[in-house]
Amino acid sequence: MNRLRIAVTKGRLLDDSVKLFEKIGFDCEAVKNPGRRLLCPVDDGGFDVVLAKAPDVITYIENGVCDMGIVGLDTILERGGEFYEVLDLQYGKCRFALASRGGEDFYGTYKTRTVATKYPKVAGDFFARKAIDVKLIKIEGSVELAPILGLADAIVDIVETGSTLKANGLEVIETVCGVSARLIVNTASMKLYRNEIMSLVAKCEKALPL
Amino acid sequence: MPKAIFGTPEGTRDRLFSECRDRRAAQSLITSLFKKRGFTEVITPEVEFYDLFGYVPQESMLKVVDRTGKILVLRPDSTTPIARVAATKLKNSVFPQRLYYNQTVFRSDIGNLGNDAEIQQCGVELLGAAGVKGDAEITALAIDVLEACGVQNCHIELGYPGYFKALAADLPADADTLEQIRESISTKNFTALRAILEPFGNEKAAKALEELAFLFGGPEVLDRAEEISSDPKAAECVKYLRTLYSELKMAGRGDRVRFDLGMVSGLNYYTGIVFRGYAEGAAKAIIAGGRYDNLTASFGFPLPSTGFAIYVDDLVACLPPARLPRIKAVIHFASGMLDEAIRELETYPAGEAELSPYEEREKSLKLAKDRGAEYLICFGPEGKEEECLEQA
Repeated sequence: MNRLRIAVTKGRLLDDSVKLFEKIGFDCEAVKNPGRRLLCPVDDGGFDVVLAKAPDVITYIENGVCDMGIVGLDTILERGGEFYEVLDLQYGKCRFALASRGGEDFYGTYKTRTVATKYPKVAGDFFARKAIDVKLIKIEGSVELAPILGLADAIVDIVETGSTLKANGLEVIETVCGVSARLIVNTASMKLYRNEIMSLVAKCEKALPL
Repeated sequence: MPKAIFGTPEGTRDRLFSECRDRRAAQSLITSLFKKRGFTEVITPEVEFYDLFGYVPQESMLKVVDRTGKILVLRPDSTTPIARVAATKLKNSVFPQRLYYNQTVFRSDIGNLGNDAEIQQCGVELLGAAGVKGDAEITALAIDVLEACGVQNCHIELGYPGYFKALAADLPADADTLEQIRESISTKNFTALRAILEPFGNEKAAKALEELAFLFGGPEVLDRAEEISSDPKAAECVKYLRTLYSELKMAGRGDRVRFDLGMVSGLNYYTGIVFRGYAEGAAKAIIAGGRYDNLTASFGFPLPSTGFAIYVDDLVACLPPARLPRIKAVIHFASGMLDEAIRELETYPAGEAELSPYEEREKSLKLAKDRGAEYLICFGPEGKEEECLEQA
């Protein structure tokens, strides 16, 4: 077989992912100093780490070019896909929340509300569960702007500390769901390399929480 | 004048040269094995009534509306149409019936994720055969197909959703919770599974369900499955898998068999064992099948049945590409010499010689050189003449 490939989300989750691998005892020099390299060997772990944008991590796993991946639940919920989600890594914790301008009663009206979000699927599923029809507008950048400009009544977005919301006069109305980093596995890789993958999963589980 | 269209619809593509050859080679290998095992071909319509496929999510079917306003779909699956055929046209025949197909199934919910809307499948259905012998015949055939195609590191994996159902029935939980449990087991989401089962504490069924997500691997899985549950129905499922495994082992195919008792996908028509085939180089299962004893009953004619489908293109992707033939000779011929030229052409293996459509010999010579051919063969009034070309 080829070496296992693990796709790790760049950015917010990378530092803790490196910490996790180091806690297990792997040498992550190449991952920490990748330079322009996108494929970094972790030789004592017998695998390569691929640094990728979050949704691409899932794409690589689904198409089998990477065997395992570390990605946030936010991306999993928005992007969906077919893979095994084997472990909650308990870092990269934050939450999806519904927020609106302070002092407004979001639910107290019969008018269809407009909600801006970077995560239309997460927001859509949330309101579908509540059987409330809303008009969703997808925003790519700072979602907080939408209610300020009057484009939307509320937003559904990732909230870590809540300080950005506060600074823009927004208040959390409700938590949609919690988010943390997850370890995912390609369905065929799991079956073909059961021992290698399950032993790595067990090592990760033992090292948690970081 | 409408604008010229250069692309193809999402999820579809053109296939050329080796892609066609490799697919056709695999199809002919697979179907000849099916025929050798006594299966005969059935061809069902590309379009069927929407209502036929009740268990397929509607957003994943490609729809068409017919003249009378009825909704049709491009078939998302071949087994259901074949069950319809068996329950209607074959009603008065002698069973079991062994049918195979070589058809395309269609999907519409593909997004830009690299998935195909057209999926080429070869499959078999053994209709009117209850019990372990039918399952053994079909699973052995699945193993043999993988071996005959020469894929590496392949195996089939047996599961039995009845085992999960037996455990779930012992758990005092509502339907929603059970569906969440099934979903978490199916996606091997251990974190979610543990959280859902926590309220049930040390209940034996809860503990067993918690383990189910990772109950996959070799035959030791069956031992563990027996240990963790005392439910008689669950025990029956394990016993059935054991019997099937021992049949396959005695048939010399035991080392290609593994198990996954956590294989509990959502809506489908399977009632007994289910199985999937895996091979090195494929990103997902390349074979999917199982026993479906109630499907034909929905057409008013119950027939215990079992079968599987092979994802031909995914299987082909695991194989080294076949070498395409190269043109060795270009044949130039004068007016009146077509028959001689054709006869010469047919002495070469397929794809190694070509007739030149040009009147002038120089143009044929250029074609031969452009093709990298070794010979230019000319048929003129003076007969046959061979020119050896220098290789670049």
